[in-house]
Amino acid sequence: MNNFSIKNLFEFNKTPLNLLVAVLGIVLLGAFLAGAAYYILHGHHAFNVTRQHPWGLLIAMYVFFVVSSTGLCIISSIGHVFGVEEFQQIGKRAIAGAIITLLSGFAVIALEVGHPVTMIIYNVLTPGFTSAIWWMGTLYGIYLVFITIEFFFLTIKVDHKWSKIFGIGGLLSGLAAHSNLGAVFGFLISRPTANGVFYPVYFILSAMITGCYLLYIIYGFKYRNDYPEQLKAMFLKLNKILGMLLGILIFFEAWKIITALYGTMPERAETILHVISSPTFIFGEVLLGMLIPFAIILFTNGQAIKPMVYASLTGMIGIFFMRYDLVHDTLIYPMTMLKRSEYQLPPTFLEYFPSATEFAIGFGGIGITIFLFYVAEKVFNLDPDREH
Amino acid sequence: MARYGMALDYKSCINCRACESACKAENGVLPGRDNYRIWVGQKEAEGEFPNISIASMTYHPSQCQHCDNAPCQQVCPTNATYYDDNGVVRVDIEKCILCTYCINACPYDARYVDDRTVTVDKCNFCSDTRLANGETTTACQATCPTKVRTFGDLDDPNSDISQLIAKREYKQVKEHLGTKPKLFYLL
Repeated sequence: MNNFSIKNLFEFNKTPLNLLVAVLGIVLLGAFLAGAAYYILHGHHAFNVTRQHPWGLLIAMYVFFVVSSTGLCIISSIGHVFGVEEFQQIGKRAIAGAIITLLSGFAVIALEVGHPVTMIIYNVLTPGFTSAIWWMGTLYGIYLVFITIEFFFLTIKVDHKWSKIFGIGGLLSGLAAHSNLGAVFGFLISRPTANGVFYPVYFILSAMITGCYLLYIIYGFKYRNDYPEQLKAMFLKLNKILGMLLGILIFFEAWKIITALYGTMPERAETILHVISSPTFIFGEVLLGMLIPFAIILFTNGQAIKPMVYASLTGMIGIFFMRYDLVHDTLIYPMTMLKRSEYQLPPTFLEYFPSATEFAIGFGGIGITIFLFYVAEKVFNLDPDREH
Repeated sequence: MARYGMALDYKSCINCRACESACKAENGVLPGRDNYRIWVGQKEAEGEFPNISIASMTYHPSQCQHCDNAPCQQVCPTNATYYDDNGVVRVDIEKCILCTYCINACPYDARYVDDRTVTVDKCNFCSDTRLANGETTTACQATCPTKVRTFGDLDDPNSDISQLIAKREYKQVKEHLGTKPKLFYLL
């Protein structure tokens, strides 16, 4: 651990980029607090969710954060669990990131679930074992315990044997929790576009991609594109891993779309057709989230590091749209239930746009991440031990 | 112990929507666009003028199907949604955490958020307001002027509803999902 004081917290290099991130962090943190206050006063009426579209941006942002957490955990485990040397140097920072993004996700979901205290009580007293949400929440709780203890043995009381044991526990519980999060959507028999095996598998894949993007961004910001040799070696391997993962993701997505369209199954085919013609899918998911990073890796033969840092920024925007579309696309087809003209117009795709409060809380979660990461960098030595 | 269900002679529905009003009054459902336990859907007439099929224009009273295999019950993380002794799918407001997963999971759009309790609410066949007081009908059934609805015990072979679904053909909604709904639309 580093020597830490409140005064120390305000000391950092006042470079334009640092100042920009500091201001951004403070603004987002303020937005989160303001959004939380407004939500406490007005409840779910502060959100633009409805009976027909009961989940919105906050669920998407929760998924965004926990995807980030799981992704960082999985990629870091390549080093300290599976023993690939180049990846061992990122272990502490990646696990710190996994804890922080998970806490940010919990902060967001606590303001989405109407009764979080009741949730904690009755999750234990009357557990719903057939509920994917119960498994997801419980496993994420276990995952948090594992990776926190792992972080303890990585940074505070360094013990590689125990950090590896808890690292394995964290990896397995993280994989289980995250695929259960996919199952939250995959189990919905009422929503043909989401129902099935795709999401539990896709969530793990997209988590790994998110982990790669975040590592580029975290280390790109830390080293300002002037990397030590050992980090370059790690990035070159990460490029290849990310290229392969993006290739698999594109393959998965393509077949998901083709199978959904084939045979024009009612509700499913028209929904997917609507989805793939939407700008959030074309520009957000495909272009920013997949094609730009994939093309850079492909055309540089996996040798580009600096461009990948910038491509990871577009990639994370794409990942956000993947999460947003995941929720929105699942709910977009109206559940008319024989209602035709009494309560609504003849079926059209549902529209949803987040309220200011939802934006404040959802994106405010990123402020929590930035703030906690800054504190973690101040309090703990997140660099590899051999450097010191 | 019973297994309650409802048969709907929907072709007799005249779309007066007295059932909706009775339900709201009986159960204290608050006003609001999303706040309703039951509804009457309308299927538009088919064809183009002058060949419009008047017979094709029908009304579809609907509500929670009180499935024997309810998706909303399966997905509930705290078992707040449960089957009571009469097979009625109900919500325990003490346990509901308002995750709204059940609203997403219900294939029948039967659930909404009740602002009185800030939990999820739905039709419970008037269990609290009428059945608990010894009455044998629901408010929507009692008020219907054309006797569309027949409520009763599906396990009692002599009940009106058992007699009806034994003698008449019926259809169910989205039964291919395996939900085993207990609403029967008489043909």
